[in-house]
Amino acid sequence: MLYSRQTKARQFMRSKIRRGFLLFIWLVLLALPSAALAEGPTQPDQLFRDASNLISAGDYETALEVLDRIPAPGGTDSAADFIKSRVQKAQLYHALAMFDEADASCHEVLALFPDNIEATNLLDSLAKAKKPKWLLFIDDMKLFLPSLIQGAGITLFLVVITMVISPIGGLLIALGRISGVPPLRWLSWFIIWFFRGTPLLLQLFFIYYGLPSLGVTLSPTTSAIIGLGINYSAYLAEIIRAGIESIDSGQMEAAKAIGMTYTQAMRRVIVPQTYKRLMPPVGNEFIALIKDTALVSTIAMVELMRSANQMFNTYFNVNVLIIAAMIYLLFTTVFTVTFETIEKRVGAYENR
Amino acid sequence: MKTDNEKNPTSNNAPIICLSNITKRFGKTTAVDAVDLSVMPQEKVVIIGPSGSGKSTLLRAVNILEEIDEGTIVFEGKSVGYVEKKGKRVLDSQKNICALRAEIGMVFQHFYLFPHMTVLENIMEGPVTVQGKSREEAHIIAEDMLEKVGLSEKRDVFPATLSGGQKQRVAIARALAMKPKIMLFDEPTSALDPELVGEVFNTIKSLADEGMTMIIVTHQMGFAREIADRVIFMEKGRFITEAPPVEFFGSCMTNTRVASFVDSIL
Ligand SMILES: Nc1ncnc2c1ncn2[C@@H]1O[C@H](COP(=O)(O)OP(=O)(O)OP(=O)(O)O)[C@@H](O)[C@H]1O
Ligand SMILES: [Mg+2]
Repeated sequence: MLYSRQTKARQFMRSKIRRGFLLFIWLVLLALPSAALAEGPTQPDQLFRDASNLISAGDYETALEVLDRIPAPGGTDSAADFIKSRVQKAQLYHALAMFDEADASCHEVLALFPDNIEATNLLDSLAKAKKPKWLLFIDDMKLFLPSLIQGAGITLFLVVITMVISPIGGLLIALGRISGVPPLRWLSWFIIWFFRGTPLLLQLFFIYYGLPSLGVTLSPTTSAIIGLGINYSAYLAEIIRAGIESIDSGQMEAAKAIGMTYTQAMRRVIVPQTYKRLMPPVGNEFIALIKDTALVSTIAMVELMRSANQMFNTYFNVNVLIIAAMIYLLFTTVFTVTFETIEKRVGAYENR
Repeated sequence: MKTDNEKNPTSNNAPIICLSNITKRFGKTTAVDAVDLSVMPQEKVVIIGPSGSGKSTLLRAVNILEEIDEGTIVFEGKSVGYVEKKGKRVLDSQKNICALRAEIGMVFQHFYLFPHMTVLENIMEGPVTVQGKSREEAHIIAEDMLEKVGLSEKRDVFPATLSGGQKQRVAIARALAMKPKIMLFDEPTSALDPELVGEVFNTIKSLADEGMTMIIVTHQMGFAREIADRVIFMEKGRFITEAPPVEFFGSCMTNTRVASFVDSIL
């Protein structure tokens, strides 16, 4: 075992040396004829080689001169070499940010070969490169915004609907949690436990892809509204419950003492006092909601994230994602400011 | 003292409220222990006693804020708060209990004004929400009550800006707006700075002079002397002594427990 391994290693070494030797011979044989041909300085191959050496040495100016020495086509001089040299020049100028010279070099080619694809493409990208970055971004905006705005509209629609549904659902579940009726308490506890304890993504999948197998088929929009609505109700329920329980129990006593029913006391006295306390945590939830709507892109809803994704897959342009991010930020900023304003307004009685 | 005349509630000899054998336990502690108490119309009963003697619990039992374990409450000749169901005594319906509470005003040590409503809204809340009065009607009542407690100029401010004394006067106005048949005061001046006790005391005194029936729990012996028709000393959930104030602060002081309590307060 040990012996055979050593032998194998030795054989391997030997084959390596042999291969290296063969490669050396090959190189010598190849070098001989090209060295013989390198006599004339006008040989395009040699010029290209020189230029590339100069470029790797960093001497662009000389490289440009060398490339320039490749003549225009005619006689024995090939069109291909000419085009190649001028395109290389243009690329070099482009890299040096000398756009006018690069343009000129492209036009040299196009003057003789108006249909040349390489020069045309290069000229296009030069035109882009010459434009300031922000102008390009504006161009991209013009291209992407229409579909992104459509997607953003769907996102906003889902956010607003959920913002209407979930506080109501959350309040009902919260009242169930603190109710004196045990079955209501258990049901509310279960809803909160289940919908906070499983991923929203899974819930959406279940509603959209899973329910049909139980005979209930819902549209993507309905599924999204139900999924987001219940999920956010469950989250808000705990926040609202904490808010209600933070109100001095004397408030309920005083309300009862003037003859209010439990429902009247909740509606008129207890719940209104929770508003100010609820604003910051509920605002937080709604910011999270704006971003969570991206999850419904997985159940065939073309909202902002989905349309950004589609555009990105078509254009591979990172600006799509940047513009989408800007729209999300716009939404979250507007909501944050709005909530802060409402919070101040709602709690005014505490310091008036 | 106790009267069984429940057949003719309009009669002046009929008590407005008659509590008998009221017992309330919290686990092993008996907060109120088989207490009997009847209050005649326009009568002012002052209850004093050391902390934890069950005064608040008794007061809260009157308007069913506390569910009692034994005993009966008769209000204006009708048994209230509890009903027999399959041989068991259970709480009456919420509707009936709320109707009872609407007729009994209660004022708390810590006021419990509704902080999100203005002074006027606080007072209008009961008439509008509980009695279903129109806002206009409730507004007139509220203005009236505010004037009664001398705070008309504070009608549109929020409770947070009021002094303790002003808060308590608004709380009294809020209770009065329901036109209660009897008022319960649970240490109405205990949370106040000494210099603010007077204004609340005067408000209660003028109410007493108008003939309001009251049960007052207090540590202010001045109250007891000036307002009470009857002073009750309570200890460990039981009534130890009850007597008119002159007698109470005179001959009753031979009772060492009463005397030492009154001494400790004064
Ligand atoms: N909700 C409750 N749970 C348990 N025990 C209670 C409760 N409320 C009152 N108690 C107990 O019942 C007894 C009587 O309390 P209560 O508040 O009626 O006394 P009080 O005479 O009003 O005292 P204070 O002068 O301090 O207000 C006390 O021992 C108290 O600890
Ligand atoms: Mg008390």
